[in-house]
Amino acid sequence: MAASLETLVGVKFGILSPEMIRKMSVAEISNPDTYDEDGMPIPTGVMDPRLGTLEPGQRCKTCGNTYLGCPGHFGHIELPVPVIHVGFVKHIHLLLRATCRSCGRLKIPEDEIRRLWDELEELKKLGKVSEEFYYKVAQRAIASQTCPYCDEKQYRIELEKPVTFIEVVNSERRRLTPQMVRARLERIRDDDLRLLGFDPEVARPEWMVLTVLPVPPVYVRPSITLESGFRSEDDLTHKLVDILRVVQRLRENINAGSPSPVIAELADLLQYHVTTYINNEAPGIAPATHRSGRPLKTLVQRLKGKEGRFRLNLSGKRVDFSARTVISPDPNISINEVGVPLEVAMQLTVPEKVTEWNIERLRQLVRNGPNKYPGAKYVIRPDGRRVRLSYVQDLEEVANALAPGFIVERHLMDGDIVLFNRQPSLHRISIMAHVVKVLPYKTFRLNLCVCTPYNADFDGDEMNLHVPQSEEAQTEARILLLVQNNVLSPRYGAPIIGAIRDFLTAAYLLTRDDTYLTKKEMSYLLAAIGYDGELPEPEIKEPEPRWSGKQLFSLLLPKGFNHRFKAAFSPEIEVVIENGRLVKGVIDKNAIGVEKANSILHRMMVEYGPDATREFMDKLVKLLNTYLNLRGFSFGIDDLEIPKEAHEELERIFDKMNKLFEKLKADYEKGRIEIRPGETPEQAFESNILQLVSETREEAGKIARKHISRDSSAVIMARTGARGSPLNIDQMVAVVGQQAVRRERIKRGFTDRVLTFFKPGDVSPRARGFVYSSFAKGLDPIEFFFHMAGGRDGLVDTAVRTQQSGYMQRRLINALEALYVEYDGSVRSMDDGRIVQFLYGEDGVDPMKSYHGEAVNVDILVNRLKISASSTPASESALNELTRQYEGKLPPKVIETLVKAVQERRISAGDAELLFKEAYREYLRNRIEPGEAIGVVTAQSIGEPSTQLTLRTFHFAGVHEASILRGLPRLIEIVDARRTPSTPMMRVPLIKEIAQDLKEAQRIAKQIKCTYLEEIASDVGLDLRRNAVIIVLDEATMRDEGVTVKDVDQALKSLKLKFERSEKTITVYADEKEKDLERLKARLMSLKVKGIERITKAIVRYEDGEYVILTEGSNLKKVMQVPGVDYRRVWTNNIREIASVLGIEAARAAIVRELKHVLDEQGLDVDIRHLMIVADMMTISGAVKQIGRHGVVRLKESPLARAAFEISVQTLIDAAVRGEVDKLRGNVERIIVGKEVKVGTGIVSLLMSYPGIADGSGSKETGEAKIEGRGGG
Amino acid sequence: MSKKKESPPPEEPSILEHFLVPKHRILSSEEAEQVLRRYGVKPHQLPSILASDPIVKLLGAKPGDIIEIIRDSPTAGKAVYYRHVVPAEE
Repeated sequence: MAASLETLVGVKFGILSPEMIRKMSVAEISNPDTYDEDGMPIPTGVMDPRLGTLEPGQRCKTCGNTYLGCPGHFGHIELPVPVIHVGFVKHIHLLLRATCRSCGRLKIPEDEIRRLWDELEELKKLGKVSEEFYYKVAQRAIASQTCPYCDEKQYRIELEKPVTFIEVVNSERRRLTPQMVRARLERIRDDDLRLLGFDPEVARPEWMVLTVLPVPPVYVRPSITLESGFRSEDDLTHKLVDILRVVQRLRENINAGSPSPVIAELADLLQYHVTTYINNEAPGIAPATHRSGRPLKTLVQRLKGKEGRFRLNLSGKRVDFSARTVISPDPNISINEVGVPLEVAMQLTVPEKVTEWNIERLRQLVRNGPNKYPGAKYVIRPDGRRVRLSYVQDLEEVANALAPGFIVERHLMDGDIVLFNRQPSLHRISIMAHVVKVLPYKTFRLNLCVCTPYNADFDGDEMNLHVPQSEEAQTEARILLLVQNNVLSPRYGAPIIGAIRDFLTAAYLLTRDDTYLTKKEMSYLLAAIGYDGELPEPEIKEPEPRWSGKQLFSLLLPKGFNHRFKAAFSPEIEVVIENGRLVKGVIDKNAIGVEKANSILHRMMVEYGPDATREFMDKLVKLLNTYLNLRGFSFGIDDLEIPKEAHEELERIFDKMNKLFEKLKADYEKGRIEIRPGETPEQAFESNILQLVSETREEAGKIARKHISRDSSAVIMARTGARGSPLNIDQMVAVVGQQAVRRERIKRGFTDRVLTFFKPGDVSPRARGFVYSSFAKGLDPIEFFFHMAGGRDGLVDTAVRTQQSGYMQRRLINALEALYVEYDGSVRSMDDGRIVQFLYGEDGVDPMKSYHGEAVNVDILVNRLKISASSTPASESALNELTRQYEGKLPPKVIETLVKAVQERRISAGDAELLFKEAYREYLRNRIEPGEAIGVVTAQSIGEPSTQLTLRTFHFAGVHEASILRGLPRLIEIVDARRTPSTPMMRVPLIKEIAQDLKEAQRIAKQIKCTYLEEIASDVGLDLRRNAVIIVLDEATMRDEGVTVKDVDQALKSLKLKFERSEKTITVYADEKEKDLERLKARLMSLKVKGIERITKAIVRYEDGEYVILTEGSNLKKVMQVPGVDYRRVWTNNIREIASVLGIEAARAAIVRELKHVLDEQGLDVDIRHLMIVADMMTISGAVKQIGRHGVVRLKESPLARAAFEISVQTLIDAAVRGEVDKLRGNVERIIVGKEVKVGTGIVSLLMSYPGIADGSGSKETGEAKIEGRGGG
Repeated sequence: MSKKKESPPPEEPSILEHFLVPKHRILSSEEAEQVLRRYGVKPHQLPSILASDPIVKLLGAKPGDIIEIIRDSPTAGKAVYYRHVVPAEE
């Protein structure tokens, strides 16, 4: 199967020449009519039977096949006048300008051309020639006013959208007809074209002016017969008919010798039709429409965008053997199982080869047929004939005919492997392999532990199921995709599958100190998990035997399991597990939950492997489910009860708040409010109020938390991590708090008030959305309104965010998709073989196998090796010896931690050696596997969590001065590699000597801050008599800003204008060059008198034990030169600036830092190795490139891959002009043409084959066939 | 990033000392050859660094040179990277 596909080695792009079009045509199409009276297609019409046939009974007139076998054949239309192809207008325009209008030579002198040729050869040797080179050549040629060869004067040529060229000859605008354009293009020499990046072999420029139009086969534009019997033609057919009509009229007119204006008009009409036939959205042209007004979907529209050919049919393909239905939970099936409804199981089939060992079983299945459950739908005989069992009368006969070599397509059965998927497939664990369990009813059933990776709930979610058919696919699914092999997330190296919700509640309730179980309960629970061992000794023997919940839980743990960690319930509780016994502490989210590193699950996965972990989880879930059923757990209004005193306390707090507000308001009205720099009084007042309400909410929350019972279900759920947060409880019990729209108190509605209920101008908490009630008490109508407004804002925010992060992920995927890990551990690009990293993640470790990022976890090793402190710890020299031995084998950091562990734990020399040896083994085990499609994993690891990022900029009420961009917008800004960030910022530390000196810091801050003359001028006037501008300086501001009159003098001197200054009045005289006084004034106002450009604000802060200057605006180069600044530690968030000042490597480091910072700030756990890949990819060309169509994606070698991302059509057209070849090496291209991708298990290939080695026959042919066959495996 | 330099004059900021800038070194032609052989690539398949890069200018490297970069790595401690010097884009 694969052998025939393997023969496709590349796709060459080019332009069809008229001869080529005629050669591949089977019929000249000239008749505008399509069908005769009988509804038969007219020969030479657009539906000419030679182009192929759509009727089931008919045979193609050209190849004799029926519509199933006929590939379709092109026809052609001879155009009476040439027509410009819209797609190529840019290229035609460029060529017309770059070449001589008379002799057709490139307008560059001979010697220069020779130099350019040398340069081009040089560049070709270095790899792909950049667009910039060709652009440079073209610009050089266009600049020439006369032709260096024939001395002909050149004129400007303008392009009038969409397809008209105008030559401006001495301000006379002459139109160039397509004939003239074509004639000029014909004259251009091949070599000149090569210098411009054209490939004249496959793309002669005159071919960009059409003289013959290919007519696509009918299969490309099938007509549909409506129910009413009317035939409805495809848009393309309509357009072709339009073209043919004009062609016919044009020909008649030409033959009749009509006057040229008539012919020109018809030629324009033809141009219009051909243009819209190609692109119906070309700028500057009215789209051709249906009679209904709907614009036609023509060639370009068929390819473009999400609904276009590329993204809809080529990058994504439809599949058979799949099913979809609603999902529902089932704690009683294993985490790696999926419950499949019987009905579905009877539709989906698995091919099974008949062998002498399964023949009887398969015979029975065939006997059962398609309608009795374990049955079969098809039998495939060795000759390839398919027998559909639902058509077979005598199933017994078919069953008996079965022999080894037959294939039976049987119903889906228990134990089969299937792929299970929930959209959006944001990361690879959105698709995992499950083992089939056929169940009654109509939903897919899944274990609750796998809800997290799929992000599934059961409020109507549907999921898809796919049945892998080949044995290779089934095996890969079983080994790589099975649920238990994906418990650890490649995003952060900790479990992503684990107990959630009620299971965590149940785990806590079961394992807390006062839970004891009777013998009956014990037996019931153990029976539920199928425990068949001995009952342990009861913890309490008298009077009745009682087992503790911890004892019961311990039965699930493997013997010899040791672990210590902190519980989620309370950080004071240390959980201790010794030798498989839960000695102390409670089990909750930190023990068995998801997204928690160093939990029991995590340890078990690392130490005992996937199968033991799966079994543990299966039993755990069953046990906890049964226990919670037994015990009961509910949540009601009485769980939110607090005593009367608490309510009174709350009232007092609100009274206090209202009083404080009145005071604030009075202060504000009297102007006694403290205003921070850059704030208006209103903003200061507002931020004070905001601070007041948030403090009040916090205080109220404290009361709630103090008074609410620790046994309240709400508290248990929040603290165990099952559901809800302390904030939710506060809102239910004490106060809902401030409602916000766009991070501000709600102020929209009527003039000066939100609702007519309030007085205009009322800014009290209640009038601006503070909800005094709790959810338990209930909201009054006003509060309800505010709450709704805040809630709606939240919904809008989520909707916008999913869109933005979705697009970011698409770009990440497209930019990184081609990256894979080579056998030597380096990361390379599939399409051009370029190295991106020399060792993946710099230590070669798979984030999924790492211990939450750590290459090797020493703790686990020590535990596993049972190493304990020794009385004779390893000597220094012995350690040095070990270090030297493992240098180069282990990453430096691992060696460092090992040495530290040996010293701290006082490990003996022998044990230390053992430890190093084991660490090395562990390191090798944790190495990333060759072939891993690491680019995609990276893109998913960043894209998937980005949906959870906050969208909007954050205003810290009263904490921060500026609003800083963060969350998703900042993340997008970083990967976009914007020229300047929206909030440029710097952090400027000072040298040690003055780091503690506030005065000095403030002085430098003032020195850095950029001040303009405008800011320190108290008055500016124009003196018309003396023709001068008079400026009066404001001494107070000058002092504040730290500007001296000297600074002002200096700045004015730089203007080279006459001026005089007396004290604080400056007179600047206008001179010849600057006559306009108003202009001069504006220039003076924006004159910088002091500081560094672009630094708009500089404040001093005390951070980490020293004074640092934080600035708004960034100017790295200048700031680093300021004396007193510790230039080694100056930081800016402008990555482009870092690249230009400190170099590309510094920029790379900055990208990693910034990405990490954004994600950490939002509490998202992403392994740093992923961020490194993004940073290395963005800086691979030596300049910072964006993740997107202008950056990383454009660097791709393959035109198909670029076309599949964005701007499909232009990419293809450019590829044609350049004569590019797609070598089909990248993943996107391979998917488009239907080849297997060369990442993952596809990386394996046979380098050399010995004839006959595969089957021992010794024949060369079979030997070679085997190699190609390998490709598919 | 502690780079020891004998008595650095504080007035002369050297970008090489900045904490974001790792150590760069031009490889000798033998070393460069070795790197290319180890990874089995042509120079243009290595990551690039522009000839106009400030660090490249300081080192005096020319297009065609290969630069070794020793990065501080959060995962491995120290990590080596190579970049091939290419002519600056105009």
